[in-house]
Amino acid sequence: MRTTIKLGTATLGSALLLTLGAGMAQAATSADGNTMAKLRPVALNGVDASGTAMVTVTGNRIDVTMAASGLLADSPHAAHIHFGAEARNECPTASDDKDGNGTLNTTEGGPAYGPIVVSLTKSGDTSPKSALAIDRFDTAPGGKISYERGSINVSSDVAAAISAGKSAVVVHGVDHNDNGKYDGETKSELDPKLPTEATDPAICGVLASAPSGGVQTGGGGTADNNQALGLALGGGLLLAAMGTGAFATRKVTNRI
Amino acid sequence: MSLSTKFGDRRGALAAVVTVVLLVLGGGILARAATAPGPPPQPDSSQASAAAPTPATSDPAPAESTAPTAAPEAVVPASDFGTLMAPSAPVALRIPSIKVSTKGLVDLNLDDKGELEAPRDAQRAGWYVGGPTPGEFGPAVIAAHVDSSRIPAVFYNLGRLKKGAKAIVDRKDGTTATFVVDRVARYPKAKFPTAEVYGDTAGRAELRLITCGGEIDPRTGHYADNVVAYAHLVG
Ligand SMILES: [Cu+2]
Repeated sequence: MRTTIKLGTATLGSALLLTLGAGMAQAATSADGNTMAKLRPVALNGVDASGTAMVTVTGNRIDVTMAASGLLADSPHAAHIHFGAEARNECPTASDDKDGNGTLNTTEGGPAYGPIVVSLTKSGDTSPKSALAIDRFDTAPGGKISYERGSINVSSDVAAAISAGKSAVVVHGVDHNDNGKYDGETKSELDPKLPTEATDPAICGVLASAPSGGVQTGGGGTADNNQALGLALGGGLLLAAMGTGAFATRKVTNRI
Repeated sequence: MSLSTKFGDRRGALAAVVTVVLLVLGGGILARAATAPGPPPQPDSSQASAAAPTPATSDPAPAESTAPTAAPEAVVPASDFGTLMAPSAPVALRIPSIKVSTKGLVDLNLDDKGELEAPRDAQRAGWYVGGPTPGEFGPAVIAAHVDSSRIPAVFYNLGRLKKGAKAIVDRKDGTTATFVVDRVARYPKAKFPTAEVYGDTAGRAELRLITCGGEIDPRTGHYADNVVAYAHLVG
């Protein structure tokens, strides 16, 4: 008896599973897209900062908004979109510390995030040429960046890389010695006139594609037509029970 | 079937067993269908558009008395962006006006089609780990089922949510992110507005609450629509 019931419920169960099964909204496929990077502290550099960058790609145009906090206050923070076809397309890890000095400079992060493809300046040129245009980057009053810039033109390759989730946003500027300013003996490998603190990567995040389409968040158990199905199924089984029941009764009667 | 043979008449006993099974199953399903809570509520079209984008003015919207009106932002924004919080994963979600209170949020990722997966457990809400944590800049996404194959689930009443209602997220670091609902809309899954739901939030920390809605598509056995509530952080 137990086995029979188990079999019954199992069959019913798989029928319900079938209704639950696959099928989803179609994903929009296009080079255009919405991407987002969760900006988190770069390995080894010990910056207690975070943020979010959002990049919307429309053809060869990108629109960028970025918020971050916890950065060295009132100091310029160079910020870029990095991408390299040869790069790992991720943020650097401790193993990228090639010279083993215990911190990561921008060049050491290269194998992870690739070269600069867009300079997120507040005004003027946004090409890699402005990578260290210190006077045109956000100075993070109170350690916070609130950055918005629309209509930045990029190449088709860069637009495609961003849409494909392969680029990374990097905000630079690390106060390694916690003295409230960029200084120190070590010069930047990018510009010997700057201390390495001014250009070391502080926070980083890969610009990942936003989810496409909707979400499959219903089993349908409370939907109208499923209730109708329930009534029909339940009623049908009861009718069937009457049938087999009558059969059993007849058999019993016959025997007596 | 050794059991039946013992009784001599195999077919009769089998029929009796089948009868009991059918009675139990049929009765159960019938009872469930008859006492079912009915189809999930759907958002009214009046909820689909946000109140005027001008912040902190008197909200011309909803006569919903249950929901506290969007409190004027008490916390002073740090810059030209609104209130933002440091990252911390959500652990619980409360939406008092529709009696949602759920703990133990699960992590949601994208499936191989790039679509947001739903929580496996219909009685749990899930947070999209690829997006910001609730309170950070950008659209934090929490999705939950409207129902299971049998009963209402966490977001059964999401379609009933009104503009101005509060959604409160408890976070791992002990802080609480309070959001106010801007609008609630329903979209066919085939025309899901990805950019609107997951795209740039123009300087605000926002929250998206997503579930299923509309009718069941007989071809897929799934709901044809998604219900999305849009909310922004107030503190
Ligand atoms: Cu950079």
